[in-house]
Amino acid sequence: MNALVKAQNLSYKINDKKLFQGISFELLKGKALHIQGENGSGKTTLLRMVCGLTKPTKGDLITLTDKEVCFIGHKNAIKQYLNVEDNLVLMNLNNHHDLQKYLSVFDLDKSLDINIANLSFGQQKKIALLRLFLNKSDLLILDEPCVGLDTNSQEILVDFLKKELANGKGIIYSSHIFLDFNSDSLGI
Amino acid sequence: MQVIKFEFLKLLKKSRGWLGPILVFILIMIAYPLTVEVSDVELRQSFFSILWIAALLVIMLATEDIFLEDFNDGTLEQYAILQKNLSFIIGSKVFVYWLVIGVPISIIGTIFCVGTTSQTAFGYQILPVLLVSTYIFMNVFSFGNALSLTKGSVLGTLVTLPLLLPLLIILGKVVVAINFDLNYSGFLLLLLGILSIIIMIIPMIISYIIRAHLE
Repeated sequence: MNALVKAQNLSYKINDKKLFQGISFELLKGKALHIQGENGSGKTTLLRMVCGLTKPTKGDLITLTDKEVCFIGHKNAIKQYLNVEDNLVLMNLNNHHDLQKYLSVFDLDKSLDINIANLSFGQQKKIALLRLFLNKSDLLILDEPCVGLDTNSQEILVDFLKKELANGKGIIYSSHIFLDFNSDSLGI
Repeated sequence: MQVIKFEFLKLLKKSRGWLGPILVFILIMIAYPLTVEVSDVELRQSFFSILWIAALLVIMLATEDIFLEDFNDGTLEQYAILQKNLSFIIGSKVFVYWLVIGVPISIIGTIFCVGTTSQTAFGYQILPVLLVSTYIFMNVFSFGNALSLTKGSVLGTLVTLPLLLPLLIILGKVVVAINFDLNYSGFLLLLLGILSIIIMIIPMIISYIIRAHLE
């Protein structure tokens, strides 16, 4: 089996309002799927469905991976009152062999003792993205991963995602900022 | 064990989360005898009511944002995705809160009890009761907070408060049992029985409630 996600005829309703309906797709290993749509069209809801956080009103969705899913959403899941080092402990990344490399790449290695609340929005996003850069998943789900990132960091992200695709991982993402790598598109 | 370590790190670094309730408890226990004109005998009689009510209110205060912060910053979202056993994480979180807030309150309450009754033996009997009852309070209020996670935690705790009234009655009976040297161990076993059911069921229910909130 080469598929990581299979979705068939997905629909989602909030109260009586249909957010989307009849969405079908399949994500294969080494492939990326770009979810496109206007604000409020249900991109985040669809991504959360793939993560298992939200259940579809109708349709079937199967995730075919034994490993944990890596999800980068709108919320950074970092603690404002803790410093960077403590947050890395909470994210269970403090002993990762590649941690130092990415801290240097994002220029965060000298900010380890600084409280998250004192960092800029972009720096906070970079710390949240360390979850992605140090992931152990087959399936990466990214909801607007470029928000707050400078051009250089966006390029680092794109290069990383290209490598992950070459390693056979699957990516589903939504982004209003153009990411320069091969991906299929799904409009909702 | 890693979850417990993480929860310790989070709570201990957020000093207002644990120090505030403990200080409020001490203040209530000190302020009560200062604000009423009663004899030592009357003080001994009413002390335990104040002890249980103070413990109840302080645990209610301590659990006010037990899940709210993790919900707002996306930590619960990550837990729900990464960890299949969300109820274990919730159980660990409540346990850490009890260890950092409930246990000190129980010890301080015991010290005040010995100070008021002038009987060390009373303290030995009241400490286990306080330890068990604060853990039960912690679980029930956590359930209340989870219920009203997105609607302000006070509402949920107020809804769950009546669930603790039978427990308060039992605690009153425990004091009578200690005073008259009656079936103290029977009441303690009853409290342990309630606790053992609660620590199995409540984290599981909370995990379902949180998943519903995340959806």
